Amino acid sequence: MREIYTPEVFYFILMLGTFIFLAAIKIPIGVSLMFSALAGAIAFGEFFPVRHLVEGAFGYIDTMLIIATAMIFMASIKHSGLLDTLAKKMALGLKNQPTLLLVLMTFFIMIAGMITGSSTATVLTTGAISYPVLKSMNLSKKKAGAIIAMAGIYGMIAPPVNLPAMIIGQGVDMPYIGFTPPLLLLTFPLAIVSSLVIAGNQLKPVNVDELAIEDIPSSNFAIYLPAIVMIILMVLENVGILSLGLPLIFIISAILATFTGRKGNIFKTSVEAMRDSLGILSILAGVGMFIQIMTLNGVRGMIVGFLNGLPSEILLIGIAIGIPLFGAVSSYGSASVLGVPFLLAFLGGNDIVVCSALSLLAGLGDMVPPTALAGIFAAHIVGEKNYFKVWVAGLPSFFITMVYATFVIANSKSFGKFVEGNSFYPVFFIGLAILFVLFIIFDKFKIRRQTT
Amino acid sequence: MKRRILAFIFYILGVIAVCIIATVSFISMKINPVLNGPGVTETVKLSNWFEGIKNTNMDTNVYVFDSGVEGGSILILGGTHANEPAGILSAIVMLENIKVETGKVFIIPYANNSAISHNDAMEGAPEFYHIDLPDGSTRDFRFGSRRTNPTDQWPDPTLYNHQSGSTLGGGEVSNLNRCYPGDPDGYPTEKLAYAIVQLIKNEKVDIVIDMHESSPEYPVNDAIVFHQNAAELAITAQMMLEMDNIQIRLEESPVNLRGLSHREIGDSTDAMVLLLEVANPSQGRLRGKTDEDLVVTGLDKFYVQAAKEGKLYAPYDENGYPISLRVARHITTIDYIIQSWNMMSEKQILIDDIPSYENLINDIGSFLIEHEG
Ligand SMILES: [Zn+2]
Repeated sequence: MREIYTPEVFYFILMLGTFIFLAAIKIPIGVSLMFSALAGAIAFGEFFPVRHLVEGAFGYIDTMLIIATAMIFMASIKHSGLLDTLAKKMALGLKNQPTLLLVLMTFFIMIAGMITGSSTATVLTTGAISYPVLKSMNLSKKKAGAIIAMAGIYGMIAPPVNLPAMIIGQGVDMPYIGFTPPLLLLTFPLAIVSSLVIAGNQLKPVNVDELAIEDIPSSNFAIYLPAIVMIILMVLENVGILSLGLPLIFIISAILATFTGRKGNIFKTSVEAMRDSLGILSILAGVGMFIQIMTLNGVRGMIVGFLNGLPSEILLIGIAIGIPLFGAVSSYGSASVLGVPFLLAFLGGNDIVVCSALSLLAGLGDMVPPTALAGIFAAHIVGEKNYFKVWVAGLPSFFITMVYATFVIANSKSFGKFVEGNSFYPVFFIGLAILFVLFIIFDKFKIRRQTT
Repeated sequence: MKRRILAFIFYILGVIAVCIIATVSFISMKINPVLNGPGVTETVKLSNWFEGIKNTNMDTNVYVFDSGVEGGSILILGGTHANEPAGILSAIVMLENIKVETGKVFIIPYANNSAISHNDAMEGAPEFYHIDLPDGSTRDFRFGSRRTNPTDQWPDPTLYNHQSGSTLGGGEVSNLNRCYPGDPDGYPTEKLAYAIVQLIKNEKVDIVIDMHESSPEYPVNDAIVFHQNAAELAITAQMMLEMDNIQIRLEESPVNLRGLSHREIGDSTDAMVLLLEVANPSQGRLRGKTDEDLVVTGLDKFYVQAAKEGKLYAPYDENGYPISLRVARHITTIDYIIQSWNMMSEKQILIDDIPSYENLINDIGSFLIEHEG
């Protein structure tokens, strides 16, 4: 043990130990985090840290509002019948093209993340809509959940809106310009690979019976209104014409959903949604307290300093593991706390490419327990009680993403040359088109083999 | 049943107690002392130049030093980022010591008055730090946030579409140094930026200096960032500083980095704009325990380590980067910028009693008035 890390390392062990012990005796995660923060503060000599705990608890207030309202929206469109109707329309169009349909559904899920920059919002909106389709293609709950969670993360990192990249860029005064090509190249190929890897050979053509929908006036156009209004409001928000904020947008769309399709009761729906989200909301409050105290007593500085001080040969490995791990508490927090110093450590490569890849690693944090926002909500929408099953099913693409992002950081200059060159967009889109043709041929071949 | 009711009452009382304690602590930072100094000729509210911020927490005190003798004018901003205490303290030291003989000086110590009224969540920052005065007493100063207080501006949008056309993360709309040149109908922080620009235009301010601090691992450090119109001023000041063995970097304001004081005020007014940076570990990401001592001494073992590994952009060692040194650098740089200005312009700005670099480093407390808050 190097002398420089005392006493911080003891605070860290104490905080982690308290957390693990309390969680093991079934104290709620959020409360365990609060008490472990308290322990860290007392050991540090701050015996009455009320101000710090309350201040920390407010750290993720905006995220909490987004989660609570997105849950209400999701419950409302599920009740109104929008979820099933939309899924049916999409699935029937390509019912004999499972590979192509899977890839297109992955892109569809990503759309919400590309607009909102939030993996939670993505999983609870387009993710929820796509679940019936994935289910109809014979995918198990945990595999469908893993596909949705990973697509949520890729969506959050894909352009135009990538908040972790903005946060890292702001820390070094780098304008958010020129990020579209590298982010496209980082997310879309991975999204395709990820969904195909997770689905594996479980994938089958759409089973139309699975999509049976009862008592929903599906021919009625009004049923789509909540989704349409939501997307319009999100786009208006981003171009700066009408800034309502995600929480209000979700509430407006949720209320709209109670009047369209199957009639619902917004109060009942919101109480149910809040009950489902209270656990994760308290975790976020606890995480805020935990970070506040570990910043106060120097544990955060020790971790950042330790990773940043790694010799350059293993620095990359430190980054590849450290950023997603810290992202367990929050991908935005990880971007700010670790992303910024790491970008500074890698100045001299292609900064935009490095920043983009770091943001992808930070996004991966949304799959890491205990917060694991993307994974937990994906498990929720597919109805999988044990979130860890979803997590395990997503592990292969988690590691592929980690390796790819690290590879890009190590070779940022050559990636930079490609993404900044004139040939990028033609190569990218022609490549996608070729892939689609291959999927179509593959599906035809597969189905013929199954029928003969 | 009875036990459940008792438990319920117990929890509710606990919650109420926590709320009261946290609120008292939160509100303690709203105090807004009026400062004074021998040379201050008038104390005016910033809303004097733009009504739109009147009676809000964005309104702030502007201290005017009018010599009555025709000459040039300068605006000195501290506290654009309220978690960068040396900028604020430099402004306070100047306002409590200087006398203006020719021209006019405006000092705004708390440029974002809302940002000094709270701390950033999850940063573990102290609410106050104190400086020892020669008579053995101490004087407390607030340590704030980089951003406007959410009780004054919330929620921020997902994206901040700056009027220049560039897109920033939504939170930057509560960062005064991304809101220039401001918007009279925008978010409160944009209104604040607009008010400052109105002051500059209406008072025909010649020089604007915006004082900051930056973490030692950040490349723009111990630096003058200048708008291209102020290049000569910056270069001359740097030469003077180097003659005193004070190393300072020069950075020209990048054209595509929008919303910053040196870019937007420089583009939209006739003033020459310069932004000063000095290294400060208490806001850096490598820092260890975060407390008052760190703010005052600037000494952190993890930064010492990082310096040995060659990862910093500022000279840093076991002596730390004390606030007295940071203030001394800022004030001396301002002094030399004004001297450079006087060499190239007929509109003279002559100031007496600017504390010297050595005296500030030796005993900054002796330049502070014994004072409340
Ligand atoms: Zn600053």
